[in-house]
Amino acid sequence: MEVVDHKTHNLENGQAAEEEEEEEVDENANVLQFMDSMDAYLTLIHSLSSNLRQGWLELASARHSMGAYRVNTVLLDHTSHSAATSLLVDEGKEPHFTLCKWGSSGNEKLFLGEEQSSRDKSHPQIRHRGATQLSEEKTTSENKASCEIDDPVQKERSKSLSVFGTLVSPKLRDAQLSFETALETLVEIANRRSEMICAFDKVNKKSGGSKD
Amino acid sequence: MANRAQIPTSNSALIAMIADEDTVVGFLLAGVGNVDLRRKTNYLIVDSKTTVKQIEDAFKEFTTREDIAVVLISQYVANMIRFLVDSYNKPVPAILEIPSKDHPYDPAHDSILSRVKYLFSTESVASGRR
Repeated sequence: MEVVDHKTHNLENGQAAEEEEEEEVDENANVLQFMDSMDAYLTLIHSLSSNLRQGWLELASARHSMGAYRVNTVLLDHTSHSAATSLLVDEGKEPHFTLCKWGSSGNEKLFLGEEQSSRDKSHPQIRHRGATQLSEEKTTSENKASCEIDDPVQKERSKSLSVFGTLVSPKLRDAQLSFETALETLVEIANRRSEMICAFDKVNKKSGGSKD
Repeated sequence: MANRAQIPTSNSALIAMIADEDTVVGFLLAGVGNVDLRRKTNYLIVDSKTTVKQIEDAFKEFTTREDIAVVLISQYVANMIRFLVDSYNKPVPAILEIPSKDHPYDPAHDSILSRVKYLFSTESVASGRR
């Protein structure tokens, strides 16, 4: 009888030890997730700071070349209009934000298209004499395709710039791109924030403490 | 999903801003600006004439609007209404404190980091060891 009791007791102890070990593994995973999210959050904030600094500098340059009265909040459009850039929110246990730039739903493709077209504009390719007609036609059709994708986005961009006049400084366009990049970083920061809060709540639950 | 009741059926939401002129202008250039039929904007430009009450009202308005998912607020402005920002604890809209031209970002003042630094305090470590 005593031997049976001893064996049962050992079994129960073993099970409890296994459960404790599992809990510890979960807790470690939560803590790691929390630390990773916080690290990513701080890194992104640093990146955001440099994006914003660049944007402010370009805005200041635009103001310098166009004149302070032309880059001014007085000129902002106060008539009813919707935001061209918005967010998609997936509200679950951990809210997730997705940026929709310039009313686009397929952000990645458009972004790649924009990147290519902006690169082409900044580094125009030298046209070689004697290039084959075939390769030129191919390039033209590729450009046409990317232009078709870029058109609505470029239209929205131009509309946004037109608040400050028809002819604007290239620095204002650069500022626009810098702030677009900053927006992307901000959406990432929002997602890391959600992750961090979620991981923090899990760690807090396990430890049984509460700051609040 | 039942939790989507807060966001309109179109599923798109706005980014609100409470910041200085250059920051707001920059983000408006990026297409974030929205003006509704009642001429209510999704931003507040903070300058030397803006009162704390105006900032508080804007913060309360943006955090209760159903069509706003993220509120960007310059950290130096958040410091003026710190008690309000720190007491806010909903997941959406997310409050993001951003640097401004004259006031770099300080992690010590960030609301979310203040909330979680408890994990690294000696009290929490000691209580975990008991």
